[in-house]
Amino acid sequence: MPASDDIHRWSAELAGDPASRVFLPLGEALRVRGQLDLARRVAVRGLERHPEDADAHDLLARLHADRGDTEAAVDEWSAALRYAPGHVGALKGMGFVCYRQGKLAEAESYLAQAAAADREDERIGAALARVRAALAAPAPRPSPAPSAGLPHADAAAHTLARPLADRDPIYLFADLIGGGEQAALLLDRDGLVLAGAYVVSGGVDVGQDIGAALTGISDEARRAMRHLGLGDWSSIVFESDAARVAMAPAPDDGIALVAAAPGLPSGLVRRVVERVVERARQWLGVTA
Amino acid sequence: MMPSPFLDTLEQLTRQRGVLGGLVVSEADGIVVDALVQTSVRSPVVAALAASLYRRARKSAAAAGLGAVHYLELVAEEGRVCMAGAPGYGGAGEDLVVVVVTDARVGVGLLRAELLRAVAALA
Repeated sequence: MPASDDIHRWSAELAGDPASRVFLPLGEALRVRGQLDLARRVAVRGLERHPEDADAHDLLARLHADRGDTEAAVDEWSAALRYAPGHVGALKGMGFVCYRQGKLAEAESYLAQAAAADREDERIGAALARVRAALAAPAPRPSPAPSAGLPHADAAAHTLARPLADRDPIYLFADLIGGGEQAALLLDRDGLVLAGAYVVSGGVDVGQDIGAALTGISDEARRAMRHLGLGDWSSIVFESDAARVAMAPAPDDGIALVAAAPGLPSGLVRRVVERVVERARQWLGVTA
Repeated sequence: MMPSPFLDTLEQLTRQRGVLGGLVVSEADGIVVDALVQTSVRSPVVAALAASLYRRARKSAAAAGLGAVHYLELVAEEGRVCMAGAPGYGGAGEDLVVVVVTDARVGVGLLRAELLRAVAALA
């Protein structure tokens, strides 16, 4: 993560020379630190000075994507590609959006261009391999199936047609979380992902990173509640700039997690995480 | 001795129905900065839990690109622990968490609004 010193230095440089392109590392640093509003202001002001700068459009697109505003993100990535047709960041972003929308052929095209332009980035290769694997999967049965947005609709519909035990774990909760900006994960007691996915900008699944950050949270909450005499814990909900996240205890000391758009009511997100826990019980063969 | 800068905030929060205590906690090390709690509430336990939970939530949100965490609530059978972050308090760069422990009777919506208002006032 960029140091505060860097941010101060870049801020001072930009104040002294508003036309400087230092707004790009500054905006990115603020974005990484979670200061999305400030990062957005920096990016917008930078774009006012440099309206044809593809990197600036890419930065603003990722800020829109962080907030779940896919439409605005696509507008900015499209602008970036107009000014720089081979822009890797914009190609990755468009690939990610198409992937989430189930437009696998288009996602493959964008990611293949990105991979060709940046062969060093292993994450692009991994995202491309994921899309190609989904494209190679047998076609879904022609029966109506619930749609799901994560990781993508075609494969989710395909797996939902199967018995629970045979489903691809990535899509285990796809019908529960719907087609919107939601994600669900089942983590074991060590924070390892058992089922579900959490795909972010660039098509990267960050489920393991989230799991690592939450390792041991269930045990810690249980012990603390015992000390405080408040009984067993039933949920943890947190609100951030871009999401409302609910967690609940899952079988074998695991954690079920659902992330939803910040506008969704807490009660609804809790209901979804309860359903995710119930699905996890069925899948793991655990009797409540 | 100087009065605590957090006293008004804690008094305001602990006036709510069902609130057993309020604390201001350092997120970095889980130490109680100030507290106004009933004798049944073990402040060091609450502080350690709150700091750890808030830190984990912040890290997981960062991993997922979800931006800054503003509010967190742990729900148990017989009560809740609610908290809101006050990053960079007083310009000194110290990340504080304002925490409230409640029983099951609490009005959650009102308490959440009060907590967020209290944190905004501290900034």
